[in-house]
Amino acid sequence: MSLPAIAVKDLVKRFGETTVLQDINLEFPQGKVSCLIGPSGSGKSTLLRCLAFLEEATSGMITINGEALGFFQTPDGKRERLPAAQIRTVRAQTGMVFQQFNLWPHMTALGNVSEALKTVHKVPKAEAEERAMAQLRKVGLENRANHYPSQLSGGQQQRVAIARALALEPKIMLFDEPTSALDPELTGEVLNVMRDLAAEGMTMVVVTHEIGFAATVGQQISFLDHGRLLFSGPPTEIFAKPRHPRLDQFLDTYLDRGASMLV
Amino acid sequence: MMFDPQVIIEKLPEIGSGLFVTIILWAAGMIGGVALGFVVATLRRFCGPAVNLPLGFVVEVLRGTPFLIQIFLLYYGGPFVGLMLDPTPCGLIGLTVYSAAYYSEIFRAGFAAVPPGHVEAAECLGLTRMQIIRRIQIPEMALIVLPPAVNLSVILLKESAVLSIITVPELTATVSAIGSQQYAFLEAIFLLAVIYWVLVEATDRLGRLAEHRLARLRFSKA
Amino acid sequence: MTLKLFTLLLQAAISTVGISLVSIAIGFVIAILLSAARLSGKAIYVAPTQLFISFFRGVPLLVQLLLIYTLLPVIGINVPSVVAAIIGLSLCTAAYQAENMRGGFESVPKGLIEAAEVTGLNPTQTFFRIRVPIALRLTLPALVNEAIMILKSSSLVSVVGIIEITKMAQDLASSTYLPIPIFLSAGLIYLVINWVIAMLGRYAEKSLAGTSA
Repeated sequence: MSLPAIAVKDLVKRFGETTVLQDINLEFPQGKVSCLIGPSGSGKSTLLRCLAFLEEATSGMITINGEALGFFQTPDGKRERLPAAQIRTVRAQTGMVFQQFNLWPHMTALGNVSEALKTVHKVPKAEAEERAMAQLRKVGLENRANHYPSQLSGGQQQRVAIARALALEPKIMLFDEPTSALDPELTGEVLNVMRDLAAEGMTMVVVTHEIGFAATVGQQISFLDHGRLLFSGPPTEIFAKPRHPRLDQFLDTYLDRGASMLV
Repeated sequence: MMFDPQVIIEKLPEIGSGLFVTIILWAAGMIGGVALGFVVATLRRFCGPAVNLPLGFVVEVLRGTPFLIQIFLLYYGGPFVGLMLDPTPCGLIGLTVYSAAYYSEIFRAGFAAVPPGHVEAAECLGLTRMQIIRRIQIPEMALIVLPPAVNLSVILLKESAVLSIITVPELTATVSAIGSQQYAFLEAIFLLAVIYWVLVEATDRLGRLAEHRLARLRFSKA
Repeated sequence: MTLKLFTLLLQAAISTVGISLVSIAIGFVIAILLSAARLSGKAIYVAPTQLFISFFRGVPLLVQLLLIYTLLPVIGINVPSVVAAIIGLSLCTAAYQAENMRGGFESVPKGLIEAAEVTGLNPTQTFFRIRVPIALRLTLPALVNEAIMILKSSSLVSVVGIIEITKMAQDLASSTYLPIPIFLSAGLIYLVINWVIAMLGRYAEKSLAGTSA
């Protein structure tokens, strides 16, 4: 069996007194689309943010392609923080797409996509912009390269954000509810870009409320509830009846009619 | 009482030099205030409570007391602690420190107004702390900070008139002195008001023009 | 610095607070009238209002005070200098308060005004019973700021010889040769008054927040 893209072991995350994630053990396979689903407040976004090292787990381990993220376990069981440079190297294997896009408003689409190439990877400006342009082409926004975020629709902004993450050629793409901030008629264009990416064999971890997308594109579905991982498996298994009562309850709330025909 | 334009024309060079002093003090006070205010805001944000709290107290004191009292303290109190200042440098220092307190608050609000997600996005892409401050936080902040900064610069121009009280030879002092000499005080003060009014309106328009230019870079709603 | 000097400063503070409060109150009433004129939409009211606001916001308060102080006797109005000072401060703060209120009036949802109209309120009733209360709630924080500004600006009336904190401090400093403790004490008194205003403002905001839907 090949090395999982991401392995999460005994992960606990507390904010003060509240436990947001409790003993999460989960592996995300290489080259597959894994979806994290669950009600609001179930901890799925926090888990994803831990994978991006935007949140530091209270205890437990995360490894990315076999390398420890942020902390390592000493032989005597202690947990110690890795040096900043090493954290950056491991983090560089993942790209992150946010619910709120988080494009920088003072830079054009091209500026947003080429920024990290220029400042982090010291790629010369011309080459960085060429590579950024290629990514914009991939998400179908070549002709919007010189537009500022405020001049783009939500769907276009999110596609630029995906291009921005892809520009650094990550091995794994993390998506945090990428369509939740979009009007319904704009979700399609973003999901299509994500489908294309999946078809190319990109390893993806997607926190989503789009059950239709999870059921059709997802290859591993993990259901979180109240900070615990209730179960995880292929969609055919997860969505097959009879279902876990919590999942049934959740689907009743979130499922739209179109998706109910799919699962 | 008749308005005598002859008086004004005769005294034009004097009025001009007063205007010049006002504009120089204003510009220098602004530049110094922006620089010092930015340093204070940055220290307060990134250096922990041991720096934040005392600086915050100083800023509160400067914002909570009249400029005139601060100037009196510096001008009349200075010599008692070995700080002998001529009126003009005293006025410049006063204007700089006073405006720095206000600018620092504007910058602080600016830092706070940059959505944390924009910083997180940069972190995820591997930008270092310094790169994030320089490439993301400062430019984004500039957009947010511009309107209140223009407002403050207008306030500063008007506050500079207070320096006439400690005999800085700026516009107010010059023109009201001419008025007294010529027994045309009302005309002089009226002229003074008009000059300030024009300067303030012009600054305001210029500021709004700059805002308009930058408006396309404003945050999108989502 | 003796207790006696500090007591003198505190006594002078009464006139600072008095002048400021009266000016804020008069300015508030003028500002409401200016807002009404501006909201009327009729050019004969709007244009002079804009001119008034632009002038009093565009000229240093010190110059305004000097102007009013010299102008009043010329046009035959002979009033004590305290009254002249209050007129100056009131006109100035009226312009600022009117400008603050504009934001408040603009943020009153159109639907609420339409609702008043369809209920049969006439424009004057709509203005005073619907627009003013809602707009004032929205501008309360700005009003508190303005009160603090005016309190500080009132130090300028010392130039026309009115005995308030700043003038008293100046006189005491030159007669005692103790400028540092005296001006620091004066500053402290301003600071304390401002803290009190800010606290009252926060209290008012809180109690208003409870009553607004």
